[in-house]
Amino acid sequence: MPSPPPDWVKALKPGGPQGSELLAQERAQSNVDVEKLSELLHTKEALERQDKLVKMLQPEKVFDKSQNHSLGRVERLKRALAKAKRLQQLAEQNQWSMEDLHAANELIGEPTPYGLHASMFLVTLREQGSPEQHKLFLERAEKYQIIGCYAQTELGHGSNVRGLETTATWNPEDKTFTINSPTLTASKWWIGSLGRTANHAVVMAQLFVGGKNYGPHPFVVQVRDLETHQPLENVYVGDIGPKFGYNTMDNGYLLFNKVKIPHINMLARFSRIDKETNKYVRPSMPTLVYGTMTWVRSNIVLQSGGVLARGVTIATRYCAVRRQFQDRDADPNAGETQVLNYKMVQVRLLPLLASMYALHFTGRGMMRLYQENQKRMQAAASPSQDARGPGPEELRAGADLLADLHATSCGLKALASTTAGEGLEVCRRTCGGHGYSSYSGIGPFYSDYLPTLTWEGDNYMLTQQVARYLLKSARAVLSGKAADNDTSRILRNYLDRRDKGASFDILEEDNDIVAAFAWRTAHLTFEALKHRDAEKRSWNSLLVDFWRLSTAHSQYLVVKNFYEAVSSPELSQSLDQDTKTLMHQLFRLYALHTLEREAAEFFSSGAVTVRQIGLTRTTAVMKLLDEIRPHAVRLVDAWAIPDWQLDSSLGRYDGDVYPDLFRRASQENPVNDLVFDPYPWNEALLKNESPKSKL
Amino acid sequence: MPDFTDTLRPSQPDGPTTLARERGQSDLSVDGLSKHLFPADGFLERQARILHILQKEPLFSKEKQQNLSRVERFKLGLARAKLLRRMTDQHRWDHEDYKMAQYLVDDVSPYFLHMEMFVTTIREQASEEQRAYWMPLIESWKIIGAYAQTELGHGSNVRGLELEARWDSSTKEFILHSPTLTASKWWNGSLGRVANHAIVVAQLFLPKPGSPEQYVSHGPHPFIVQVRDMKSHQPLNGVVIGDIGPKYGYITMDNAYMLFDNFRIPHSAMLCRYSSVDPSSGTYTKPEQPALVYGSLTYVRANIVHHARLVLARAVTVAVRYTAIRRQFQDRDSDKNGPEMSVLDYPTVQIRILPLVATAFALHYTGLSMQNVYRATREDIESGDFRSLAHMHSMSSGLKSLCTMLAADGIETCRRAMGGHGFGGGSGLIQLNNDYLSKPTVEGDNWMITQQVAAYLIKKMTDAVESINTPGTDETDARFKEFIRAKRQAGASQPISLSNDQDIVKSFELRATALAYDAYEQRVLKKQNWNSLLIQLHKLSKAQSQSILVATFFKALSTDQTLSGPTKTVLWDVFRLFALYTMENEGYEFFRCNAVARSSLNALPSRVQGLMARIRPHAVNLVDSWKIPDYLLDSALGRYDGRVYEDLYNRAHRLNPLNRITFNPNYWEEEIVMGTGENGRNILSKL
Repeated sequence: MPSPPPDWVKALKPGGPQGSELLAQERAQSNVDVEKLSELLHTKEALERQDKLVKMLQPEKVFDKSQNHSLGRVERLKRALAKAKRLQQLAEQNQWSMEDLHAANELIGEPTPYGLHASMFLVTLREQGSPEQHKLFLERAEKYQIIGCYAQTELGHGSNVRGLETTATWNPEDKTFTINSPTLTASKWWIGSLGRTANHAVVMAQLFVGGKNYGPHPFVVQVRDLETHQPLENVYVGDIGPKFGYNTMDNGYLLFNKVKIPHINMLARFSRIDKETNKYVRPSMPTLVYGTMTWVRSNIVLQSGGVLARGVTIATRYCAVRRQFQDRDADPNAGETQVLNYKMVQVRLLPLLASMYALHFTGRGMMRLYQENQKRMQAAASPSQDARGPGPEELRAGADLLADLHATSCGLKALASTTAGEGLEVCRRTCGGHGYSSYSGIGPFYSDYLPTLTWEGDNYMLTQQVARYLLKSARAVLSGKAADNDTSRILRNYLDRRDKGASFDILEEDNDIVAAFAWRTAHLTFEALKHRDAEKRSWNSLLVDFWRLSTAHSQYLVVKNFYEAVSSPELSQSLDQDTKTLMHQLFRLYALHTLEREAAEFFSSGAVTVRQIGLTRTTAVMKLLDEIRPHAVRLVDAWAIPDWQLDSSLGRYDGDVYPDLFRRASQENPVNDLVFDPYPWNEALLKNESPKSKL
Repeated sequence: MPDFTDTLRPSQPDGPTTLARERGQSDLSVDGLSKHLFPADGFLERQARILHILQKEPLFSKEKQQNLSRVERFKLGLARAKLLRRMTDQHRWDHEDYKMAQYLVDDVSPYFLHMEMFVTTIREQASEEQRAYWMPLIESWKIIGAYAQTELGHGSNVRGLELEARWDSSTKEFILHSPTLTASKWWNGSLGRVANHAIVVAQLFLPKPGSPEQYVSHGPHPFIVQVRDMKSHQPLNGVVIGDIGPKYGYITMDNAYMLFDNFRIPHSAMLCRYSSVDPSSGTYTKPEQPALVYGSLTYVRANIVHHARLVLARAVTVAVRYTAIRRQFQDRDSDKNGPEMSVLDYPTVQIRILPLVATAFALHYTGLSMQNVYRATREDIESGDFRSLAHMHSMSSGLKSLCTMLAADGIETCRRAMGGHGFGGGSGLIQLNNDYLSKPTVEGDNWMITQQVAAYLIKKMTDAVESINTPGTDETDARFKEFIRAKRQAGASQPISLSNDQDIVKSFELRATALAYDAYEQRVLKKQNWNSLLIQLHKLSKAQSQSILVATFFKALSTDQTLSGPTKTVLWDVFRLFALYTMENEGYEFFRCNAVARSSLNALPSRVQGLMARIRPHAVNLVDSWKIPDYLLDSALGRYDGRVYEDLYNRAHRLNPLNRITFNPNYWEEEIVMGTGENGRNILSKL
């Protein structure tokens, strides 16, 4: 690393008020009880765990983050594997729970090559394996004696699982399956942990028995030798190369040239081949599988609040420290204005601050519903629902609450991850020029987060499922056979009041805001129904309408969940009056800012008047920005994201933005080790280097 | 090494088949449209000629560059920049040829600031004598320069810069000094490791006439300063310089920090074409036209606007070709046994990509017109006429803000519309995204600079109100006066019904004018606080710039003589799609300004979808017309021949250095690479 700067540089301080002073001033002007609010958001237990883990991990050199953004792909992956190994050793030594390991992974701040083994491989074996298979595969996998991944997506197919091309053909003569890749597009692709790390994979393949296709099913396939770690014969496996982000993960490709695996390797909890009769035995409880999807998506919603909070924490603290221009209308000798005082900065940042709370509470609400529902489902599970085809995304009647929850999770996953992903980029740009530096801590994190917008259901594709569900519910409401759930209620309420009109007082009454969002959703649902059923428009021509409908519905859900959370007894009991009021203001900011952005739909559905929108824009939102502004720093402090996790010069808790940027640039930047020869006619790149070295 | 995967083919219909059908189904003339886009300036001829030379040089191969570390990638960038400069001599390239080569290689060159801002500033702000001394040194590359304005603590607010240049009347020198850490120069390209000279912008401090002990600041001024030793390339004594570290993009650029410790430079270092210090008396001569210092910045902004079209054209080329080839799900309403649908047939994909295809054309025409306005203004200034400068400055600010936002967000929208593979290194949009995303905050933050547009328009409106009875002095003035008169006479006028293309343009102009009037009313009449108006002013700037894009597009098509038949018809649809899609997104504002009839507004979604359906068959031909070579695209997804999957597989399987390494996956063994014993500690110690 470069030599330290001379003394005259070391002696320099930032000009004007110091970052620490500015943040102290910010924290002094607000009375938000940060500790109480943190506990409400995360629980005391989680905060203590986080403290303990930071103290344990941060001093270890292997977890050093300073070179993450300077290294090449190969070195990064090597280091990521070293981190993953060390975490696993620590987990074993300290007998970590799943939560501990998960929290530790969050703190080290990048995906590791064990990621898919620890999540999807173990989960799939556990949920889809028979007891015999648990003994054979799961027990060894839990001890990392075998390391696996989950190989579903192919080069030519992602969302459409039924279109997968890899085949698994049953051979009655020797009771084996042949796994084969008939085309290049059949290559498994994007499979995390497979590229260089895993020696086993759960492979989704089209099952063929006696010439008949039974759709995609999961098979456990060994892909590498347990001693040499080389691919087995007729298996082609490797890493797919550098990506936009996620470069510490070895996403892999995988091809099979007629590889035979034994009967026991087809995961058989739900469907299997009878070894004696060579007959396919149908799945018994498919809804449980589809519950997993719902769980995964609910988790994405819950995490999206925290993801966004990282960006907002960095941008809020930095914009409080950064100063730019004197206020045009103020005393010209006053110092420059904190960037956070600019209305055009507030209007980008503070609605995101409100969104992170909104998404967090919505995610919490979803998880609670999911858990309640799982209990009910398990009590009432009936084996008669076996008509479901092999596609994982099909809806079946029968479990109304789950259907509602499933549709809800699809729409919210799309809205929440889009809000968080795009919000991070807004935060980065709000930081101006320094946001472009990797030391801002936003850019690299954004790149790593972006796949979430595509995986577990592409955000645009998912909206079709929401629309399908809403249309179905609307038909049921019209025919008087609707299930008793919230969706049916808002649709019925709209029909009842449609002739009278809405007349919601969104500027004064919080519950009227929720009602206005419900109204717009119901209006768009019946509009879409008219297009589809009465006008017989094609499904494809309505996709844009469906996408808008799904977005509207999900925004309603967020508004509703946020409102319920800020009005809940749990919140009342844990917060003081001022902080509670502030939570209501955040709710209003989220809701009214969203309403203003979607003004045309609210207006044309008759949920609000043009005058109300005008007042929302010019008065209500501006007033909320003024009310929330003094508390901004404390509101991000309450998320309690450790500096080590933020890994950001701009977002440091202590506000020492400029010294930290300078320290990293001058001390942690390997480019400064080299003295270049700048002249074009000298082929040598470095001073005192022979022209033919390297490259 | 051959293996069984060599014989595998993608499932049918494959990329080449699909693209052949796409190209066959459209009667749009690709070559005709290309000639229209790149007419007499020889762009396409030059592109073909330079491309041919570049592709023979292994150093310019882009195959593995994404895997490199920052240090290695920077070295590669410098090596290429050097070679390009040598090839310029070897092949007798002119400046346009060189720029073409640079564009095709697509690295941000570490020489960029030397060739642009450094030389431009000397040319525009140095005195004749200074030019005579420095220009030969620069043009012969005896010195290499950079431009150091922005500081750690100050970007947009140039007046807030902290670096001091203090006149020492005893030695007739300036003393450059960084009084604080935030005074450190920061972000200055080409300076971190490469340049040995720099234009340094510093606050000029001169002794107060009469009391020489006291110093008075005269604001920021440019100085030319040698910062590194010409032999050892080490920073001179009293100067600390380095590269600021890894960034979101711009990996091959050595953006710098730089600090001075009472560093002395001669009197001649101050660039004195417009303002100067008399060496004997220490008195200051003011520039006649203070806005002139912004000249180079305006030039840079005009270039950024012009460049945006090619950036977006690149992104939509990739997105259109790939989404035509990519198939996903059968159509719900059709035969379940047919092939899966082309993703580009989904309206949810079309609405993300096709308006951007249209935007690329909108940017094209406005980029061209900006260049012309810039040239004309420059000529005016050279001849001592400064009247058009304010207009130029406002226009370039607003368009820079809107156009870079459209292009930056457009790249990312295209990338995401391509689903999973858009995230992969084979998309060709990753470095483009990384590099281009600097643009919204560089050379004037996109939100900050919209204030300049608004301030200009408020002033124009004030003038128009005050001189309402005289004829309009320019287009804007005439439009404003017409609006004010209509407002005074009738109150609310009839909203526009969008029955023809001219109406669309009028509607955009009316909305921009109405917003300008609102702003005037709030600020001038009601004396509202500037800060409280910022959001509204930003919207005004956006409306004004959108109106320019729409009007320029319309004018270009109306006056064009080069296109005919189906090509012209399609391009008019492209114009309508751009305009109406933009209007739909701003629907509430158009409605509120009475700039469009409610029935027309309600019809927009279906009109937009109808236009997309009409343009869809021509999508591949439209992007082909930009003639972006595969070498520049560097994209498996966007290849001209459509061999998407073969290329993705080739990159993964054969070009990926990671696949030459076998890892040891067992967590209880410290070894990372199988058989080498290399462990975490070894890896760390190498850093």
